[in-house]
Amino acid sequence: MDARAILDHEFLVAAYVITWAVQLGYLAWLGLKWRAQKRDEARNLRGGR
Amino acid sequence: MKKFAIILYTAVTLALLAWGFYQAWYVAPADAMQGEIYRVIFYHVPSASVAFLFFAISLLGSIGFLAYRRSHPDWAQRSDAWALAGAEVGVVFCTVVLLTGPIWGRRAWGIWWTWDARLTTTLVLWLIYVSYLLLRRFVAGPQMQTLAAVLGIFGALDVPIVYMSNRWWRTQHPAPVFGGDSSAGMAPAMVTALMWNMLAWLAWGILILGIRYRVERQHQKIAEREAQAALIA
Repeated sequence: MDARAILDHEFLVAAYVITWAVQLGYLAWLGLKWRAQKRDEARNLRGGR
Repeated sequence: MKKFAIILYTAVTLALLAWGFYQAWYVAPADAMQGEIYRVIFYHVPSASVAFLFFAISLLGSIGFLAYRRSHPDWAQRSDAWALAGAEVGVVFCTVVLLTGPIWGRRAWGIWWTWDARLTTTLVLWLIYVSYLLLRRFVAGPQMQTLAAVLGIFGALDVPIVYMSNRWWRTQHPAPVFGGDSSAGMAPAMVTALMWNMLAWLAWGILILGIRYRVERQHQKIAEREAQAALIA
């Protein structure tokens, strides 16, 4: 592999890692939001009784 | 039954993503001009397509909210949830486009960024929808959803401009590969890999969109219950 091909490969890997970091980061944030809402809902229902 | 369908859909989506990865990295041939770096296309282009589609869903949701807000409040709330989900997941995919594009550009053109028509209109599109999300986050009161719907409709007007930008103006960004002039096109093996990745990222996007819609509907129901409890108190 020449220097250009190695650099291309590193940039390619960086692009794929960034793509998955953004997607999975967003999915994790959604999961946390969902869990917090469930907790709020349960607390409200307990408070309403 | 519904739970089984969701698990099956998730499994198919993950299988498609794995298959898309295999196609992109190991099956599609290297590009004669760009070598290996062109493989960024298999994430960059599907992300752009899915972002456009979800901004269109946000547009329809915004129109639906404005149309039904007086006559069918429940439909309006559902439409608003679709509008928010489409905008937010669209921003996620648009972020991927704006991050992977410069990485590709640095190797292909020798620069990270240039203020050409395609790149600039895409950045403007991202900024419009980020401002839409900030509006929803920080503006309180009953007019928030209406204001967001109007902004969502105006924001969607930028989508066809982004799409047509490298047809209307000479840009640093390459001319369209599909639907361009007679010299445009890709090797069949590359097209197959791109289509698999389009399908895989669309399936992933729909999964995330569905989750975001459910989260927003849950939020709306909690807010409604809290409002009713406040009225009773």
